Amino acid sequence: MFGPVLDVLRPVRGRLAAGVALQAAGAAAGVVPFVAVADIGRLLLAGPVEPSALWYRVLVGALAALVALIATTAATTLTHLADNAAQHDLRQRIAAHLGRVEPGWFATRNSGQVATALQGEVHALHYLVAHTLLDVTAVLVTPLVAFGYLVTVDGALAVVALLPIIVGLVLFRRAMRGAGPQMAAYARARNEVNAGIVEFADGIAVVKGFGGGRTAHRRFVAACDAFHDFFGEWSRRTTSVTAASQLAVSPLPVLALLLVAGTMLVAAGHTDPAALIPFLLLGPASAAPVGAIGPRLQALRGGIAAATAIRRLLDEPVQAVPAQDAARPGTGAPPGTVTLDDVSFRYPGSDTDVLHGIDLELAPGTVTAVVGPSGAGKSTLAALLPRFHDVSAGAIRLGGVDVRELTPRTLYRQIGFVLQDVTLLRISVADNIALGRPEADRTEIEAAARAARIHDRTTALPHGYDTVLGEDTELSGGERQRVSIARALLADTPVLVLDEATAFADPDSEAAICDALSELASGRTVLVIAHRLYTVTGANTIVVLDEGRIVERGTHPELISAGGRYARMWAAQQGAPTMTTGRDVG
Amino acid sequence: MIRRLLTALGAGHTRPVHVLLGLLTAAALAQGVAFALLVPLLRALFGPQPGAAWGWLWLFCGVAAPAVVLTFAAQRRGFRVGAEVARRLHHRLGEAVVALPQAWFTRSRVGALTRVAGEDVLAVMSLPAHQLRPLVTAVVTPLAIVVVVLVLDPLIGVSLAVAAPFLLAVLWMSNRMVARSDRGRDLAIGEAAARVLEFARAQPVLRAFGRTVEGHRELDTALRAQRDADRRMIGLAVPGLVSFGFAVRVVFTAALALAVYRFLGGLLDAPTTIAVLVLVGRITEAVGTGAETGATLRISGNALDRIAEVLESPPLPEPDQPRMPTGNVVRFDRVGFGYRPGEPVLHDVSFTLPDRGLTALVGPSGSGKSTVARLIARYADPQTGSVSLGGVDLRDIGTVERTARIACVFQDVYLFEGTLAENVRIGRPGADDEALDRAARAAGLIEVVESLPHGWDTRVGEAGATLSGGQRQRVSIARALLARTPIVVLDEATAALDPENDAVVGAAVAELAARGSVLVIAHRPATVRDADQILVLDGGRIVERGRHEELLATGGWYAGFWERRNHAAGWRLVPGPALPAGGHR
Repeated sequence: MFGPVLDVLRPVRGRLAAGVALQAAGAAAGVVPFVAVADIGRLLLAGPVEPSALWYRVLVGALAALVALIATTAATTLTHLADNAAQHDLRQRIAAHLGRVEPGWFATRNSGQVATALQGEVHALHYLVAHTLLDVTAVLVTPLVAFGYLVTVDGALAVVALLPIIVGLVLFRRAMRGAGPQMAAYARARNEVNAGIVEFADGIAVVKGFGGGRTAHRRFVAACDAFHDFFGEWSRRTTSVTAASQLAVSPLPVLALLLVAGTMLVAAGHTDPAALIPFLLLGPASAAPVGAIGPRLQALRGGIAAATAIRRLLDEPVQAVPAQDAARPGTGAPPGTVTLDDVSFRYPGSDTDVLHGIDLELAPGTVTAVVGPSGAGKSTLAALLPRFHDVSAGAIRLGGVDVRELTPRTLYRQIGFVLQDVTLLRISVADNIALGRPEADRTEIEAAARAARIHDRTTALPHGYDTVLGEDTELSGGERQRVSIARALLADTPVLVLDEATAFADPDSEAAICDALSELASGRTVLVIAHRLYTVTGANTIVVLDEGRIVERGTHPELISAGGRYARMWAAQQGAPTMTTGRDVG
Repeated sequence: MIRRLLTALGAGHTRPVHVLLGLLTAAALAQGVAFALLVPLLRALFGPQPGAAWGWLWLFCGVAAPAVVLTFAAQRRGFRVGAEVARRLHHRLGEAVVALPQAWFTRSRVGALTRVAGEDVLAVMSLPAHQLRPLVTAVVTPLAIVVVVLVLDPLIGVSLAVAAPFLLAVLWMSNRMVARSDRGRDLAIGEAAARVLEFARAQPVLRAFGRTVEGHRELDTALRAQRDADRRMIGLAVPGLVSFGFAVRVVFTAALALAVYRFLGGLLDAPTTIAVLVLVGRITEAVGTGAETGATLRISGNALDRIAEVLESPPLPEPDQPRMPTGNVVRFDRVGFGYRPGEPVLHDVSFTLPDRGLTALVGPSGSGKSTVARLIARYADPQTGSVSLGGVDLRDIGTVERTARIACVFQDVYLFEGTLAENVRIGRPGADDEALDRAARAAGLIEVVESLPHGWDTRVGEAGATLSGGQRQRVSIARALLARTPIVVLDEATAALDPENDAVVGAAVAELAARGSVLVIAHRPATVRDADQILVLDGGRIVERGRHEELLATGGWYAGFWERRNHAAGWRLVPGPALPAGGHR
């Protein structure tokens, strides 16, 4: 159970152990002032007393209190610093690990989940590392030391002083009985209400648009009420026991018990009145921490759950990359040639292939278009080239070498891409364009921006090329596309994967994007995913993909005269009164 | 804090909290009195005749018993009030949110709302359940002890009276120090969180441009900044935390020294001295427990603030006496509007949508096209001028009547967890299967339905993750078609559609325009060319209006637009000459 915690906290174990030791010392020292005071009380009652004996004990008490404060403060500081170091180390480890898993891994996950792990889960460890560990130490050490002392004062009263703690623990156990299944039910109810909240918050704007605001509201309220009914029912059954368990160890009952028992023992002549003093001082102080056991356990459980989640993330398999490029075979294809050799692909965990036995060769200076109905596997095929996913069978070769045998550095110097989904970072426009070639100078960056038709727009931004995107300004979809084209131009890879829909991502700047794409595609090995068939009528090869298989291939005229699948798709796009193509482009 | 809680609960729902506070105060008072009675009790017990203690002991128990019972009752009620408060806050949030104007629902606000209605409400729940008791005890019990001891022995009373406020003052100060250290940290955490999200989202790009592990400098910097901010907070918070612990020990030692000094001076007898020392222990313990709740108290306080912010957002005004529109003509009359004061988006916009026909709205990005669509859907109300439907200002038409007449399709498509059928039926909850199929066919959705293993009963994942952008857009269009409203507004509704489905939807739009009024914000030449009316918006003003041929003839913005569209529509990707390996350089 503690395995993941220990593992995750390995780098700071020494500091944590030191913190716990300091805390234990501090807790033990914290008992000493009470002992000193009790001693003073006994001296006072014993009759004539030497002032120096009293002052000596005052001094010891004060010093012990100071030592306790210093030790516990040092312990807290130490665990906080350890937590700080552990959090930073974990975030870096997670980020480094995520930088090595298959890029496609991110497509199947909500990026919010990753952020939750990096921020939320790591932060959830904070209470465990910085607080709970020390709290538990204090809860254990203080009563132990206190009772060790009290037993030497009066055995019978010490047993009485132990009673509230036993009663408190027994009641706490009763309150927790069946808590396991109840906690699970609570978690379910909580998830339900959370889902209801997400649906309500996310969907209310849409639902309101159709006059259904009241219905959504009713559903939300019903989900909340169901949660509160469950919670109310649960707490109705446990609040009495929980409240009683806390009350049993609270100062007033503890004092009352000790006073009644103590007075009886004194009256019976068994105990000297002076012996009561340490019990009145230490009894309540050592019982009280037991009342906070519930929240401590809760924190412990939360910390363990977080550590487990982090461990799971760190265990995600990474994409294997070689340390060195494999040698190019002597008789291999020319550089810039991409060969797909009997490629099949299925998503991890799935049992059906998305692509079956794809054979395809992309030659330098040619355009190869992949067309087909949506869901045919076009985007998946394109994603295999830059290794967003690795093939399940077969191989993809670049200049004769399997892409899996190339270092990422070599691979990405060869293959670039412009896809519909543009990712710009919150850095300056210049840095965004120079992402693939950080050493590029401003002249080169501007040249790429000009070719991508984004130079004029950039110079009009508040700080020109130094404008930070997403901070100083937001760009429109088409402008973002053109930045990504400039980026690909500057990276200047011989192989390019392109999504034709890019050209039409932003109606406001279609014409500019089209020109930029033409510029980019010129002279490279181009694989283009095409939706509008007329845009690729000039391609060297058109490949028709259907249900993950190549069903036809050839040039536009060849495929038209073949009268097959492509010809039918062509007719459909030409015949219908489409909103896209206003005029006959055949 | 308590006042804020009462405000958030709203008038008429504050009684349980008041009752709880009363109970807690009574319990803390009784406890204080019981503690104070320790003075005579211990004086007797440690005096020459311990037997005299019995009377005081029974009196002590007589006060302690009701104190214990009251504490027990207060604790139980605290749990119950916590649950009631959470339920009430959920209900109030629901009421408030449903009345908010749609313009309120920005992406970040929706994200925050999820947190407010989830975590924050539960955080406030622990205020009555766990935090009020130590808080009330920390203040009331020491005061009660001091007052009672003042009556029993003025001298001890005065010295305790000095200690209690001193401790509370130090506590207040140390809390402030900790709170201040929190603030600087929030910024660093926010930045780091944003970079983390960016890092995750941008993985494919970062990887493809050679930025693998070390590559994302910005993330590294942000994580470091967060670590440093956290360290600074530790540096600030530790003195805050220590100062209180130190004060407690100073008080304790001072009381001890004072008691010993007075005893040696013969001013205090031994039993009284012991009683004083025991009481000092009680006071410091009560205040210390209160101090421990400081951190959680701050969390619930912040949660309460965020809840209050939602509750206090101004709702979209509903008319007291809704008026019935006659006909379905939409009129913009000199409309001026801006999302933020001082940044107008629309200036003096006037136009009419006839009750039949297609109106196309075109213009450069940022010209205010979507804002026009939103004002028709009453996402917000214009600041000047008016939007009217059937001769009645939208503000005077009830929500039910308005939504029965106007349906909107926006670029952002929201799908909730549920079946595909449920998602489309949002448009008209009672619609039968036949109507559903008809709408789906017109929206090009039917092929999606038929290709799915469970058809209409297929569950769409969270936020519609299992459907592509184009498919989601078709769901959204099907919703609007199913709603069968006489007015339909389509804002870039077909941007993500492939050519075939674009054609299908194009035909549906033409059909809609034949029997009702359709406003499209579109760039597809065919749609725009065939529109009965074209409005050109630029810089928030209508600069041109008319039919296609008329606008072409004027040679204005529209003519340039048309030329650029045709250039793009004829674009082809053609191979260029092969370059030597190594690219262009």
